[in-house]
Amino acid sequence: MIHVVDYGRGNLFSIVQALRQFGLEASVSGRPADVERADTIILPGVGAFGDAMAALDGGGLTSPLRSAASRGVPMLGICLGLQLFMESSEEFGHHKGLGLIPGDVRRLSDAGHQDPSAVRIPNVGWRALRWETRDPLRPAAYEQTMFYFVHSYGVVPREPEDWVASLTINGDRIASVVRRGAIVGCQFHPEKSGPAGLAFLRAFFESAMGRRTEGGRVREDA
Amino acid sequence: MKTLEKEGKTYAVHPVDGALEVKYGLPAEVRFCTRCVISNQRPSSAVEFAHKPDSKKHTIEFDESGVCAACRYAERKAREIDWTERERQLSALCDRYRSRSGAYDCLVPGSGGKDSVYASHILKTKYGMHPLTVTWAPHLYTDVGWRNFTNWLHIGGFDNYLFTPDGRVHRKLTELAYRNLLHPFQPFILGQKNYAPKMAARFGIPLVFYGESEAEYGNPVAETTKAAREEKYFAASAALNQMYFGGVPAAELPRHGIDLRALEPYMPARVDDLRRAKVAVHYLGYYLKWTPQECYYYAAEHTQFEANTERTEGTYSKYNSIDDKTDPYHYWTTYMKFGIGRATYDAAQEIRNAHITREEGVALVHRYDHEVPRKFLAEFLAYLSMDEAEFFSIADGFRSPHLWQKAGDSWQLRHKVA
Amino acid sequence: MTPTSSIAHAPSCGLSGALPVRLIARLDIKGANVIKGVHLEGLRVVGQPAEMAHRYYADGVDEIVYMDVVASLYGRNSILDVITAAARDIFVPLTVGGGIRSVTDIIAALRAGADKVAINTAALARPDFLREAARAFGSQCIVLSIEAKRRGPAAWEALTDNGRERTGRDVLNWAEEAESLGIGEILLTSVDMEGTRKGFDIDLISAVRARVRVPVIASGGAGFPDDVADVARATSCDAVAIAGMLHHGLETLPSLKTALAKRGMTVRL
Repeated sequence: MIHVVDYGRGNLFSIVQALRQFGLEASVSGRPADVERADTIILPGVGAFGDAMAALDGGGLTSPLRSAASRGVPMLGICLGLQLFMESSEEFGHHKGLGLIPGDVRRLSDAGHQDPSAVRIPNVGWRALRWETRDPLRPAAYEQTMFYFVHSYGVVPREPEDWVASLTINGDRIASVVRRGAIVGCQFHPEKSGPAGLAFLRAFFESAMGRRTEGGRVREDA
Repeated sequence: MKTLEKEGKTYAVHPVDGALEVKYGLPAEVRFCTRCVISNQRPSSAVEFAHKPDSKKHTIEFDESGVCAACRYAERKAREIDWTERERQLSALCDRYRSRSGAYDCLVPGSGGKDSVYASHILKTKYGMHPLTVTWAPHLYTDVGWRNFTNWLHIGGFDNYLFTPDGRVHRKLTELAYRNLLHPFQPFILGQKNYAPKMAARFGIPLVFYGESEAEYGNPVAETTKAAREEKYFAASAALNQMYFGGVPAAELPRHGIDLRALEPYMPARVDDLRRAKVAVHYLGYYLKWTPQECYYYAAEHTQFEANTERTEGTYSKYNSIDDKTDPYHYWTTYMKFGIGRATYDAAQEIRNAHITREEGVALVHRYDHEVPRKFLAEFLAYLSMDEAEFFSIADGFRSPHLWQKAGDSWQLRHKVA
Repeated sequence: MTPTSSIAHAPSCGLSGALPVRLIARLDIKGANVIKGVHLEGLRVVGQPAEMAHRYYADGVDEIVYMDVVASLYGRNSILDVITAAARDIFVPLTVGGGIRSVTDIIAALRAGADKVAINTAALARPDFLREAARAFGSQCIVLSIEAKRRGPAAWEALTDNGRERTGRDVLNWAEEAESLGIGEILLTSVDMEGTRKGFDIDLISAVRARVRVPVIASGGAGFPDDVADVARATSCDAVAIAGMLHHGLETLPSLKTALAKRGMTVRL
């Protein structure tokens, strides 16, 4: 069962609709038990890091998520969800994360509005990525393909091999796609990135679930 | 609804409040059209130079289904009238009158508002006519009104005669009309209605085009089947001494400081002059399906017509009648006399043209109809040489008791559209 | 923040070095219809929301903004059904505005599938509402909508209720104040240019963008691809909202993007 974690933050409706596009159904809840029995987990999120960690802790979700990660359950963290996978964040103070990926979350530099061509923070809009590796998640036309971002903080994994794709904002290089074993994260919103985003999600599920795409739908291997 | 007559007055008998005078010859029982939001108290166009304080109003007709004449006309407009055939008639009419000499072949009265922009522009560009436009000046020009007027001429491309009446006379007539009839717009109506036919006669222009007929808003349906305008609205052979201005017999005007010679601009055209010049007056709205909103878009696109950037007081709309600072008071006084404000007029028209639903119209009426225009009040009071207390006290005297009840310090309509 | 890797310092974003300007389709909604006015006035119907939004999504639009233009007239919010239908199979950000007056309204909009809400009238009536909203939902969710009417060579007044009411507030000061309350973006509409298809109010967009640090969406006046290129070049605005040009079929998104690319602009293809 694919499970989308509902801890009160994130556009769950769009994620579920996106999965439906390739014939996948997901359970959506805040119940720790659903995290424990999931085959694949999606951790969405928008908002503030500390706030979100408090919600996960309060909902009893932190342990099940860590336990799932240690069991090698495929997980996808989206936007804030990716940030929560890290060890810590400096957003509104210093907060501990789930610690699934070594590295931390840092505030994007504000170039100030003197420079009209600088990126304004929050970084809102479509960006192309620099793909560092030949990961299954990399799209065919990877140099041009853009995804939708909206964030003020970025993740900086400590291990170079965890970087799948990067993005540079006002001189700060952050990871836009991360993979550490079965744990994947994307700073952009694949459920808001049009066909490219849907393709990314499909690629994640195919690789995570060992399944094939057939007729636009992700199916069990025969 | 029980009524009784006493000493020449009509009263509606209210179960609690007793005998309530029914002024202006209005229907004693208040009803609302089941399709739009207009009430049966809506007066049809009056013959203004016969308008006296005790004149009885003709009001809009409702049929057995409770649908008003204007809505029935809208129905015919949408479903029954063969507009292709009507347009063919317009083409034929234009072919007949189109000048070959370069002279003006038709006269289009207007202000540079959305309707006159549409009428004049389409006659020129689509039907190849050479219109002369004529304008009777607003009492007090608004900035946006003046800009739209000049844009009409300089972007749209028209020759124009702008007539501005003697301001002292105009003000006095307006004040008299306000005091005696609560009808401050009368001098403008008198002047404007009569100006075009007189100018046509004077210049020998045989064809005058108005826009929509008043019938679209509730005048007797019979009139909508004719393209030509009723002579009685603009021509008179009556002697001056049978005419009323501001509700005052003409002979008494000198007592108010108005020289009878100053009345020339307000006088209707003489029938003989019109017949001699062979002036024919037509409604473009008879030939072309008229939608005020479409006129707005047309005018915005062709002459940079600007709507107001704020809501007109008493309604929700921004592009209807915005060139005269006194205009809001025209509608506000109809609200006082007939319980019908500007929002009702605007909403009724938009319901008939299917831009809004009746439910939306009702919400708009409740929200805006009662709004007292304040933006230009100081200027209008100065114009009338009246102070605020007297202004409102006069207005209160014109409320018909069968429509209004006093609740403490404030007045409430007895009947609200629902 | 210093890069932690030896990989060379990459240019900001797109490999061509320039940030793509977001192309946003703006749908003014009344009840079940998409309407298009001139100077925020007029209710001429131009189509149905579902059909139009799906067409724009298929054509590659970057975002869609739905504005309920009569919400404050009738005190109701009927636009949510439109949003939910769109969110089912349109996978780009959706913003809804018009009649967003309370935290409850925002919850309803997000639950219906919106990603962001645009707020104007309620914010001018009570600016603290913006602070409460940003705190509850995050800044990225809260777009300030400004209806700007030019009052002088470098002065604009903020209007409310879809251009129906004046406020006397200066747009530049208001934008700055709202930013301090935590908004994430500004949707900036020129009342003078909107619906005219005569180009954007470039002075307005530049002036506001110079006063704030948040992204600014230019809205009002797009008639030709050159108008979009001009405003992007002249103001470096982050996004451009287009209505009439698309609704009246004057350009399609593919033809627009091609024209912009020809003028050297980075767009999402």
